[in-house]
Amino acid sequence: MQDPRIRIAAGAVLSLAAFMSLFSAAAVFLWWLVFTPRLQLAKRIGLVLSLIIMIAFFSLVLELAGGGGFSYFVRMTVIVLIGMWIFSEQKSGEFLSMGVWLFGNRIGFEFGMVAEMGMQSLLAFTADFDRIRMAERLKGLRWEVRSLIPAGLVLVHGALVRAEDTAELLAVRGYRNGGTLCPVFFTRPLDIIAGISALCILFFTLIPGSEFFILY
Amino acid sequence: MVKITLNHVYAVRDHWTLSASGTFDNGVHLVSGEVGSGKSTLALLMAGLFPVSGGNIENEDITTRMLSLQFPELHVTGLSVAEECASWGVAPAEILDAIGLAEKKELSPLSLSRGELKQLHLACVLEKDYDLLLLDEPFSSLDCEEKVKLCTRIGQKSQGVTVIFTHEQYILPRVHRIWEITEGILVDCGTPPGAFTNWRHLPPLIKKLTALGSRPDNISPDDFLEAVCRIRE
Repeated sequence: MQDPRIRIAAGAVLSLAAFMSLFSAAAVFLWWLVFTPRLQLAKRIGLVLSLIIMIAFFSLVLELAGGGGFSYFVRMTVIVLIGMWIFSEQKSGEFLSMGVWLFGNRIGFEFGMVAEMGMQSLLAFTADFDRIRMAERLKGLRWEVRSLIPAGLVLVHGALVRAEDTAELLAVRGYRNGGTLCPVFFTRPLDIIAGISALCILFFTLIPGSEFFILY
Repeated sequence: MVKITLNHVYAVRDHWTLSASGTFDNGVHLVSGEVGSGKSTLALLMAGLFPVSGGNIENEDITTRMLSLQFPELHVTGLSVAEECASWGVAPAEILDAIGLAEKKELSPLSLSRGELKQLHLACVLEKDYDLLLLDEPFSSLDCEEKVKLCTRIGQKSQGVTVIFTHEQYILPRVHRIWEITEGILVDCGTPPGAFTNWRHLPPLIKKLTALGSRPDNISPDDFLEAVCRIRE
């Protein structure tokens, strides 16, 4: 999907719909099958699997505690798929363009820039995490729960250092607030169809079918 | 004999490819290239940590290997400096005395400066003998004095294959073979000093000395000094 406005709006709408009912989650899954390049998921299969395993664990606890675990698992898994699709389609600069398009060159620019920085941090975070796993393997250490403490410290430390560097850089360059940007978006017909389909799913989730159809 | 051979290896990363062929045998090898030329990817490939898209890598008699990543904090697994040394299987007291960090042994490794952490990391890595040692940008974050010490330490290694991936141009150890990555291809420049004629990233000091008619025999500061002395003679 080329247009980030439709992509992010569709992602938000679909996540909401999938969370609300099992039936909607099934519809969102169908939407994901039809409108997204599913092979992109293979690039992040490790992350997807770890998230799904984590969800499965909590779903099991929920099921044992009183039921509803299966529904939770399906709904959350679909949300993860939608989230991974948005993450893999995201291109640098899109949040900045969207921020300016939505709220203008002052507040919008700031929102967009913060979102861009967040995305960059997330990418750096995953790259660092991969390298940490490599470094542990090189040391001959096995990945276990205890490894999470030093790895977490390194990741948080790295994120703080990067944030400080960015803040200093902005200050040195004389940044105060806002900026100027002319956002350009490319919208394909398929983007519009996908967006309308996503809205339809949310619509039928919020308003029961019996409100529209005469059921005998 | 310990060696690693790359047979028409190529790797694809985002929008560029890296092609590499050649044999790295016993001794110190230098792989030079501009920033972003693919040095780190080649190091990961040789360490077996990056998928090969084509060709193959043959390892002969290599039972132990180590890749030192450019950013030393990524290697940290200890919660204190002493614990970090121990995680490498080396005695903290000796190492920390040698690099002047004995007083900081209880501190978190992440509280050290990048330069100190790099020193600590390299001291731990070089303390052990690996059949294949890959050093990705080992000189980054080090001051001149520490770079010279590192060169001496690398020069003392008597066994195994050591490959240095760097864009450093001034302080380098004596090497057995020079390679460079240009336009995504690994090129074997040969052994110094003959390699200097093929080496596109030839350090400026070697260019200058060669122009003055006193080509150094190798690329270490001692070789440069010797070449300068020859001019004075």
